[in-house]
Formats: sequence, structure tokens, C-alpha cells
Amino acid sequence: MKSLLSLRAILVTGKGGVGKTTITAALAQTFAAMGKRTLAAEMTADGISTSALGAALGVEGLSETPIDVRENLRATLLAPTLGHKKFLEDVLPMKLLADAAMRSAAIRRFLMAAPTFPEMGVLYRLLDLVRQTRSDGDWEHEMIVVDLPATGHALALAQIPSSLLRIIQVGPIANAVKEGLAFLLDPDKAGAVIVTLPETLPVSEAIELAAGIREHQIPLRHAFLNRVPNDPFTSDEHRALAELMASLPPTMGVRTVDRIARADVARARFATGVKTSVTELPDTLHAGPDLTMHIAQTFAQTLAQENVSPVGEHEARR
Amino acid sequence: MSQRPPDFPPVIVHEPTFLDSLVSTKKVIVCCGAGGVGKTTTSAALGVAAAARGRKVLVLTIDPARRLAEAMGIPEAARTPSPVPREKLTELGIPANGELWAWMLRPEVVFESMVRGLSDSEERTQTILQNRLYKHLSQIVAGMQEYTAAEALYRLSTEGNYDLVVLDTPPSRNALEFLEAPRKLSMFLDERVIGVFLPKKRGAFWAAASSLIDNVFTRIFGDGFYQELQQFLGAFSGMFGGMRSHAEAVRTLLTSDEATFVLVTSPEPSALAEASFFQSKIKELELPFAGYVLNRSWAYTRGFGAPSAITLGDSVDPALHTALPKLQVLAAEETARAKRDRGLLLDLRAQTGKDAAIATPHLGGAIEDLRGLAALAQNLVKLEPDGT
Repeated sequence: MKSLLSLRAILVTGKGGVGKTTITAALAQTFAAMGKRTLAAEMTADGISTSALGAALGVEGLSETPIDVRENLRATLLAPTLGHKKFLEDVLPMKLLADAAMRSAAIRRFLMAAPTFPEMGVLYRLLDLVRQTRSDGDWEHEMIVVDLPATGHALALAQIPSSLLRIIQVGPIANAVKEGLAFLLDPDKAGAVIVTLPETLPVSEAIELAAGIREHQIPLRHAFLNRVPNDPFTSDEHRALAELMASLPPTMGVRTVDRIARADVARARFATGVKTSVTELPDTLHAGPDLTMHIAQTFAQTLAQENVSPVGEHEARR
Repeated sequence: MSQRPPDFPPVIVHEPTFLDSLVSTKKVIVCCGAGGVGKTTTSAALGVAAAARGRKVLVLTIDPARRLAEAMGIPEAARTPSPVPREKLTELGIPANGELWAWMLRPEVVFESMVRGLSDSEERTQTILQNRLYKHLSQIVAGMQEYTAAEALYRLSTEGNYDLVVLDTPPSRNALEFLEAPRKLSMFLDERVIGVFLPKKRGAFWAAASSLIDNVFTRIFGDGFYQELQQFLGAFSGMFGGMRSHAEAVRTLLTSDEATFVLVTSPEPSALAEASFFQSKIKELELPFAGYVLNRSWAYTRGFGAPSAITLGDSVDPALHTALPKLQVLAAEETARAKRDRGLLLDLRAQTGKDAAIATPHLGGAIEDLRGLAALAQNLVKLEPDGT
């Protein structure tokens, strides 16, 4: 996990229902607690959000402008509108024209509905947030953790730029997209992490996702295996139980034993298939901000074991 | 642990559920929910249930788990729906008049048929299909899956080949995009938006508006691409009316009493939050809402024995003496989860205002074959053991 600390942006990917949002929130909390000015961002290409990230952080309603959550931690929606606006301001010669363009219902609708433009707006907004500086010249947000949408296109943010570049090869859009792509592909600045569960299909999907991420040349930095069940049995006990249960009707507890067995197989497949470092997170009954806090504690411990001081290099430098 | 007595999983549905009349009467069932809650599996199991009632069913699915596709006999690259072989249906006890078809939606195929169907000449069809932008369309158009799901639903349910189409909605964060897709497309295809791109006569008002737009877009896209885009949209121009009327027809179909929406969720708080958000959205859009399926829950413990009731003889494996107490701890955890999930189920029932929520039993791992689907179907609607 240590390698994540040097990045400016982390893209959290994974299928729906694997705990991606909670892990985004927990990563952001961990970095913030280490003294990094951190922004947790929920990507939404259509501008609609269930504010799952807000719920995981214990705040209500995120907006397109970052809000303060606690010391060093902000949260926001990463939506296209502000990106489009910034893009138009940068591209058009007069702010007046950009304002008029954003006010034009036809242009606004076009930008929201036209192929890839929502994603381009999101990418532009991300770049803008990455580049914002404070009056002392330091980064406004030293680290941005992005919760990517849980669609089949978890790679949308990465895929879109390269597809778009095949179609629009020159001009301002192409330049903006190239900049965005250069940032996403820079291993010193950005990286992806994968979240999945220790079950057969989620692991298969995560391995495919890892291959997809590599194909797009985005640096895959780490993976998280979430909700790993605790295994209380020795291998002798497992074998003896399996023999006994084969002759009995369904028994309470056995579904959990089966789940543990599947998790073992899945863990081994994941370790060889994903080809990056993996952090395991235990299955707990915690939920909401409470769960986020527990996972953040696990992260802090993991980093401590990797010899990163809890205050962090950043704080030590000051 | 793979060996199981033949009665596993336990069948918990002994009375008709809210899903019973739906699989027998509706023309369209739309399954919605967050990603990873078992939407595809539930859609397929509802398909099996309807086929068992003697109906001709198509399960329209998006990005299914590959092994589920294999189990249902859906070739991944098929251009049209494929039937599940008769002998497999017979094995499951599905009567001779019951048919189960499945199709893994392919946006580019749906879009191409739509172009062919709406185009007024072969020449125009070729102009569009050969266009450089068209070739990239499916790669770059966000929401293409959602739009084509709506278009496929329109086509397959109006052609009259199936008694029932079960739609597994695209995996979208809010499961909303599918509903919004036709509207969003109509919005994009609105003449007021498209019109400004098309080279044609304009009034004074349009001239003012479009000179701004021309100015903006030429600067944004660069001159060459802007012209290319105009040509591309120009080639489509005669079809927008047709596309909009399809979008309207889908909307009419989905709001009629021939259609119904089933919300699928898991006990995860985030999935539940999304399901309840979606229920309010369904209400807002005045769509017919059937009820909830709570998947992956531990709600049912009926038919399961307690480990404490197991008596060990003298000659057993000594490891069992330490293993059984540990199993009891796991059993206690499962009981706690069961209690929590039964609470959730009651909440969902109350939330529908008509008691329309059902929990499926925890089936262990992922369902990977038709037998597993049939077992799940038996826990969604009242089916006799032979499938009828």
C-alpha cells in the first residue's frame, strides 16, 4: 500500500457491490489522518448521485464543489458540468463567450448527451482539481481518491480518452484529452486500485479488469480483497467436518464453512491472477461511517507494518 | 463440501407470491437494482418460472456472468436470441408449450438493425454504416447500452414473438440510465439541438443562435471534425423522428399494465439504499412497481439443523470434537444474520405498501447452471417439484 502514498490521484475500480465506495472513503480518511490534504471524489458522468460516498464518510449530500469533511479531508462529486465550463473558458477567447455557450440550452444539452462528452468533462474537472494550488503554491489537494462508477465500463475514464483520440485527432478537445491521458498514464502521478470479494465470479471479473487496466497502460498499483471471512478451523477440522456434513441434512454454520472454502480458492486465484500487491480486509458486521473507520484503521496498521510512520513523510517534512 | 443431499436448497415458497401472477400474465418484466445483487440470475430464474407456466419467454441480458451464459446456452456473440434446447427444458420439467430464449444484448447489432429499419434507402443505410464516426459509435457512446436495451425491448416486445420479455437492466450505478436513456436520446435528437448542426435554411432567430453555436463548436472541435460531425448527423436526419417514436413507444409500453418493475437487492446497506431510491424514482416516473426480491440474504433458516443437535459417536474423527464448537459459533452468526435479514424483509414489505417482497434462500456460491436457476425459480414462485 505504501506505493500509493506518492501519487496525486488514485482511481478505485471494481464491480458494484464489492465495497468500492467504502474503500475509497477509508483510503481518503487514512491519507487525511497522515496529514495529506485529501479529496474523496465520487465520479458521476450523468450528474446523478446516490451520495453513497457521502454516506460512507458520514456527511450528507455531496456537490460539485468540494465540502470540508474534517481536518485535511474534503469530498465532492466529480461531474461533467464544471469540467465543461472550465474547458470552454480555456478554449474560447472570451469568458463572455464561454458563459453564453454554457447558457445556451442547445450547447449544454449537446455536451451532456453527446458521445463521450460527459466523460471528457469529468476528466477535465479532475485535471483542474489536481492542478489547483493554494496561495503558498502548495497543491490544494495533495491526493485525490476517485470512486469510479460501478458500471461494466469501470474503465470508462481511461477508455474514453483513447477512443476519443481515434475520432478527434486534432483541435482543443484532442489536446485536452491528451493532457488527461498523459496524467492518467503517468506512474508517478496516477494509479488504479481494484476492489473485489473472495468469491468465484467477483475474482474472475477482477482479474479481467486488471488485464483491461494494463491494456490501457494505466499503472495498477494495488488490490483489495474485501469481506474475507475468518477461518477458525484447522485443515484437519475442515476435512473431518466435510466428511460428517456429507451425510447430514443442511446444517446451520455450514454455508459459512463453504464460504470460507470458496474464499480460500478465490484468494489463491486472485493472488496469481491480479499480479499486484493485495491487502485483505476482514468481513465484519459494521456498516456506514463506522465500517469506513474500521477499514481506515486496518489501512493505518498495514502502512505501519510497511514502516510508514503514522504522521507520514509529508508531516515529517514540515 | 460439494456433496449435498438432493433436497438442498430448501424450497421455501409453498404459497403463491407476488411474482406468481406476474410471470403468468405480464408482457415485460424489468429487473432493476444495484450492481452485484444477482439481477441477471433473478431475471433468468423468472424466465425459467414463466416457461414452467407454459409461456414463451425471452431473457434479455446485459453482460451476464460468462458461465451463466454458458449454462443457459447463450452464445456470446449471437446476433439474435437463442433457444435453450428442448431436452434441457424437459429435464427441468418445463411443459412442451413452455419455451426459454435468451440473448446477450449487443449494442452494435441492435443499433445496426435500427438503422436498417428506419432508413429510407439502402444508399442512406450504407452512408451511415460506412461513416468513420459510426464505426466508433459503440466504443465511444456512453449510454449506448442503455439506449440499445430500450430499443431492443421495443423491437422484441412489439414483434410479438414472445409472450414475455424479462429485461435484466444494464449495470448502472443508479439503474436509472436505462429509464432515462430514451428521454436522454430524445433530448439529444431534439431538432432544436440537432437542427443547429444541420446545414439548412434558418430564420433570423436560428441564425443568431446558430452563429454562436457554430463559433463555439468550430473552436472546440476544430473545423474539420465539426464538418464531419455535421455530415454524420445529416445522414441520420431523416431517422430522428423514427428513433424518437421508438423511445416514446418504449415509454408507453413500460408505463402500461403489460409491464412491471421488480427491484432486486441484497442485504448490503448500499444496495438497499439504492433500491429504495429507485423505488421513489419508479413512483415519480409513474411506472408500475411490482415489489422486491431480497437476494443473498440469510433470512431463511427453516430446514436447517443445529450443530448442537449433532451427537458424536466414540469412533469419530477426533478433530470433530474441536470443530463442532467452532461450527456452533458460525451457526450463531448465521442466526444473527438471519434475524437481521428477516427484519430487512419486513421493512421492504412495509415499504411497498402491499407486502410485496420476497427473500430467496442463500444458495451458497454463484448459480452456474440451469438446475441452479430452476432451484431459484422454485423459491420465487409456487412451482410443483416437477416444474409445473
